[in-house]
Amino acid sequence: MGSGQIAQRGAPVQQSSGGGGGGLADVVELILDKGLVIDAFVRVSLIGIEILRIDARVVIASVDTYLRFAEACNRLDIANDGSSAGLPQMIGQMTESGAKRKTRGALQGAGETLRDSLGRGQQDKEKAGSRSKKNDNDDEEE
Amino acid sequence: MTVQYVYGVTDAGAEIPGQLKGIDGQEVSLVTHGRCAALVSDLAADRPLGTRDDLMAHQGVLQAIVEAGGTVLPFRFGGALTDRDAVVEELLSPHEDTFVEQLEPLRGQVEVRIKARYVEDAVLREMVQEEPEIAELNQRVRELPEDAAYYDRVRLGELIAQAFTRRRENDGQGLLDALAPRATAVAQHELSREDDVLDAGFLIDRKEREEFEKIVDQVGKEIDGRIHLRVAGPLPPYDFVGQET
Repeated sequence: MGSGQIAQRGAPVQQSSGGGGGGLADVVELILDKGLVIDAFVRVSLIGIEILRIDARVVIASVDTYLRFAEACNRLDIANDGSSAGLPQMIGQMTESGAKRKTRGALQGAGETLRDSLGRGQQDKEKAGSRSKKNDNDDEEE
Repeated sequence: MTVQYVYGVTDAGAEIPGQLKGIDGQEVSLVTHGRCAALVSDLAADRPLGTRDDLMAHQGVLQAIVEAGGTVLPFRFGGALTDRDAVVEELLSPHEDTFVEQLEPLRGQVEVRIKARYVEDAVLREMVQEEPEIAELNQRVRELPEDAAYYDRVRLGELIAQAFTRRRENDGQGLLDALAPRATAVAQHELSREDDVLDAGFLIDRKEREEFEKIVDQVGKEIDGRIHLRVAGPLPPYDFVGQET
């Protein structure tokens, strides 16, 4: 398993973990949401996971998000705006045709925050709320 | 009383890297049937799962197989069967053909996950320069006391959110077009934030990995200062296995 260290490989690209694998933050929703599910499985009782998955789906067109953007925009030193990085050609030339992505309205990164904190390794409080029933029905969607 | 926690399915006769430990430090072994084998370890039957260590252990086992050059169908976290016989009878025997079919195209392939996110200040600056409505509102909000400008600030933020969405359509597609040609397959994830540009898993032939990474670095340089790339991999091909069997 990768050590979770972050190494810079060529300035702009951040490679998570030298040995591959990435920190947990990079893979946690793959582990929870992707991967094969077998109908024969007894799902082991999962603690904490439900909360994590539900939060990841709480998507709110949030005034808070708007206010945060407005504030960030306000903070810009507009006097310096001549110095902004130019638009990269590669991107600029792309047409908007082709695979269209569904974009949701305003997204709130609640789940992300939770995942990030998982990545930093402090979520043992979830142990406290553990239930011991089997056959959790955590995997209803997808 | 223990059950068998299942990490994934690999080829019969696959080598498990020495002393591979799974959840709770339990030794990982193979349960083999026909042409495929399940990666399992003992788990206390009444042990609820879900701590950070549990997730890391699940990922760690699959990762070890990938790093040893093996091919694996990663299972979703949290699946177990009652005992080793059940692994054969309920998992491997009824699904052997499907597993073999799914393993085949993944041979020699790994997943590399790339997340791209806007560098906020750079793109906000760009919006102020290019979009008069944003520039004007930004100016007005600056001149007014915070309370008086509340609705203007909300409106400004909303316009910015919309501007991110418009940019993302071009930029995300541009990144995809630049990165996808070396990939065997691409799986896009839903984005979780306004300022995300792209979140995708790329299935990459091990022989192409070096070349792919060069392209990633190259793209990273071209978009430097405006979009930030984060790369994780090689990973087990989570995004490229069927979701249900």
